[in-house]
Amino acid sequence: METIVIHGRGALGGVAEGPALISRRTITGWGGVDIRTGIVKEPGHPLEGLGLRNSILILEGSRGSNGWSIFFHAAQVAGCGPAALVFPRLDSRTAVTAAVLNVPLVTDLDADPFDLIKVGDRVRVDGDRGLVEVVGTTMD
Amino acid sequence: MQLTDTQKAILDGQRGKAPRKALELIVRYAKVLGAGQLCRVTWADLFCGAHHYLDVVESDDPDRIFGTMSLCTDDDVALASMHSGCICYSGVEVDCTEVPEKMLAGSGRQAKNRAMLSRFVDTGVVLSGTCVPYLLGFIPLAGEHFVSCESSAVLFINSLWAACGNGDGIEASFCAAVCGYTPLWGLHLPENRKATHVVGIRSQPESVHDWDVLGHAVGRQLPPMAVPILTGEFPRPDAIRLKAFFSSLACAAGTEICHIEGITPEAATIGQVLGGRHENGRLCVDRSDAADSVSRLNGQPRDRIDYISLGCPHYHIDELRRIAELLDGRRIHADTRVHIWTAGPFKHMADRCGYTATIEKAGAHLLTGSCPSTRGYPPGVRTAAYDSAKQRMSAAQETDARLYYGSLEQCLQTAVSGVWEGC
Repeated sequence: METIVIHGRGALGGVAEGPALISRRTITGWGGVDIRTGIVKEPGHPLEGLGLRNSILILEGSRGSNGWSIFFHAAQVAGCGPAALVFPRLDSRTAVTAAVLNVPLVTDLDADPFDLIKVGDRVRVDGDRGLVEVVGTTMD
Repeated sequence: MQLTDTQKAILDGQRGKAPRKALELIVRYAKVLGAGQLCRVTWADLFCGAHHYLDVVESDDPDRIFGTMSLCTDDDVALASMHSGCICYSGVEVDCTEVPEKMLAGSGRQAKNRAMLSRFVDTGVVLSGTCVPYLLGFIPLAGEHFVSCESSAVLFINSLWAACGNGDGIEASFCAAVCGYTPLWGLHLPENRKATHVVGIRSQPESVHDWDVLGHAVGRQLPPMAVPILTGEFPRPDAIRLKAFFSSLACAAGTEICHIEGITPEAATIGQVLGGRHENGRLCVDRSDAADSVSRLNGQPRDRIDYISLGCPHYHIDELRRIAELLDGRRIHADTRVHIWTAGPFKHMADRCGYTATIEKAGAHLLTGSCPSTRGYPPGVRTAAYDSAKQRMSAAQETDARLYYGSLEQCLQTAVSGVWEGC
């Protein structure tokens, strides 16, 4: 299998590896995540029922409420936050979320992750070098 | 990053631990964005009180909760005051705090909420208790930098007043209020306020409901981070119509600034607002798009309605006057509960004008400071209706009830008959 590596800007340093929690459709922050379990509870969302805990969270951007960051933050305080973040482009709400969670972040990507990575793929995010790498697929 | 001597002094702890922690978060936020400088924030619309997401901090100590959830530190940090050059509002509250007997929250949360709000007052925060600070004295002027935890307020103030603010988030807004700075990025820079998408409006919006629907119809077609310019032949909207429009647009698309040709100050002409660049996209919204939005938000069969929540964003006093007129001499159905939300100062005006008495006599309840999104729902709600696309969209995450959306008039007719009277 050809290794999938996406290059971007490492905006927060560090390296983390985990299962991809990926959706082109973003999660509604306000009420879209259960703060005690980190489980996505937005009705009908492709990731509904899956957990943020130790995941590599890859979303297109934020949506709606300026309370977007606080739900991810609360989940982290409850011990259920993601291990790393990947956003193809940043907006102010996703940037605040990253700054608050202070986990590895890669952004300004040179390829579309939603075409290349599937939910559950094992992904390594290197925030020091600006790399997003698929190290194992769901088929492994 | 370029930091001034004042900013460096804050980071050295010369102004105290809380400003240092706040500025550390703001600097990290700026680095994430790739921003080279910070700018001074003079207005901050915050989100104070014992909101439910704070329950993850296992403490009732307001300083501990503020440190963990707002300053993002586990250190012991006691906040002396917000930045002296920043006017701070408290924002929407967790419940009807002004009238504790109307709060859904139990005595534990009420006590925690009182303690937290009291602590914020000590630091210089004004208890505004509303999502429409811009109607109640929160007035950053053109070019001033503000923060707000309310997405519709960010869109309203950027678009109509030409003041500068990003969506940010609750933590970054608190940190900006404490240290007085935010990253000079996004809509704080003039070049990012130019339009990227030209939106032709052919749906002939007239009523407040038309504009509320339009926000959804435009929003669901816009890409993330777009800056739209609305153009077309339509009756000139007033601030109340735009309040509805901006709230549904902000919720549907995350839009933070929206120009309207000949109406908003940075868009006297299309040429001015494009700033010599070509638009990235063009779209058009006609009557069928508006009808489609109503249908998407209101796809349920006609049924009895248990609960109607009106006033998202909080109603202006003139909207309360109109509701009192519509409800005068009528009686809300015994099985339908109606909550009408506004800000405390408007409730005070409504009391003096007799609107409150008329509304309450009909069997509806005029409530302040909060909304179902922060307060939760009364027990037993199986069906719920709204006149706000934002509230309707938010409710999908907040209740298992079946949801309905229509105009204020349709909602009030429903309140009287007890059965959905909308589309």
